[in-house]
Amino acid sequence: MSTDAKPNCMTDDEIRKEEGIIEKSKKDPRAFGEMYEKYFDPIYNYILRQTGDDELAGDLCSQTFVNALNNLPRYEFRGFPFSAWLYKIAGNEVNKHYRKHKGKIIFSIEELKVRELIDQTNDDWDQELIDRLLHYMNELPTDMVRVLELRFFEDKDFKEIAFILDMTESGAKMRTYRALDKLRTNFNIKMKYDG
Amino acid sequence: MGKHEIRLRKQRITARGSERFRNYGSVLKQHEEERRIKLIVRIFTFFLIIAALILLFVVVIRWEKKQEKSTHNTSVTKNIDHTT
Repeated sequence: MSTDAKPNCMTDDEIRKEEGIIEKSKKDPRAFGEMYEKYFDPIYNYILRQTGDDELAGDLCSQTFVNALNNLPRYEFRGFPFSAWLYKIAGNEVNKHYRKHKGKIIFSIEELKVRELIDQTNDDWDQELIDRLLHYMNELPTDMVRVLELRFFEDKDFKEIAFILDMTESGAKMRTYRALDKLRTNFNIKMKYDG
Repeated sequence: MGKHEIRLRKQRITARGSERFRNYGSVLKQHEEERRIKLIVRIFTFFLIIAALILLFVVVIRWEKKQEKSTHNTSVTKNIDHTT
């Protein structure tokens, strides 16, 4: 992610509008359809990135929204966009699936995004570098990859990442910087992201 | 090696393939079903607790009666012993 690219930020008005829909949905679940239409694609893509399977992503995505509807009466606004709550539920669903099936978590990352992450002015990067980078990311702890994924591939800010992954904001920042430092020192590449 | 696997996608992930899974009607239906099951379980648990309390009450009452009877019997025996 480049420094000029901003994470998915919502205006206060947009957040307030969402709050209105949520309050309405607590009384009438049909009103939640608007949120479903709005967030279906991002949540589906988020799950697809972690499963690599269309059918499974579809099932887990549906279950995410069912769980969201079931727990809507308990939802409280905590200064985050509603999507953060959905991402949290989706992450839990993915974890539950992997716990049950004892498989390896898959992180599908787009080549284009990887190339965006690496500074374009650096002439050294090529396919071999990308392969080495992927191999290296395979060696990173899963928690670290999760933070990187949310930061760079889902464009979430640290506050949201902390909420989604149930950790402190400083913890999320520290994990990201540590992972980036490792990547910088091990690959001698100039990352586009500076903070 | 971590507990994950990184896969590189040549193409950008789009939501194009997601259309066939998009069905709010079925989500709503599943939600209603789960809500109904939850309600039934809650009502069942409530009646189970009430039944357990009634059972406990009955057991305590019977035990008390039994105790009363046995103390009454011992006092009658004592009285008989005294008179003889």
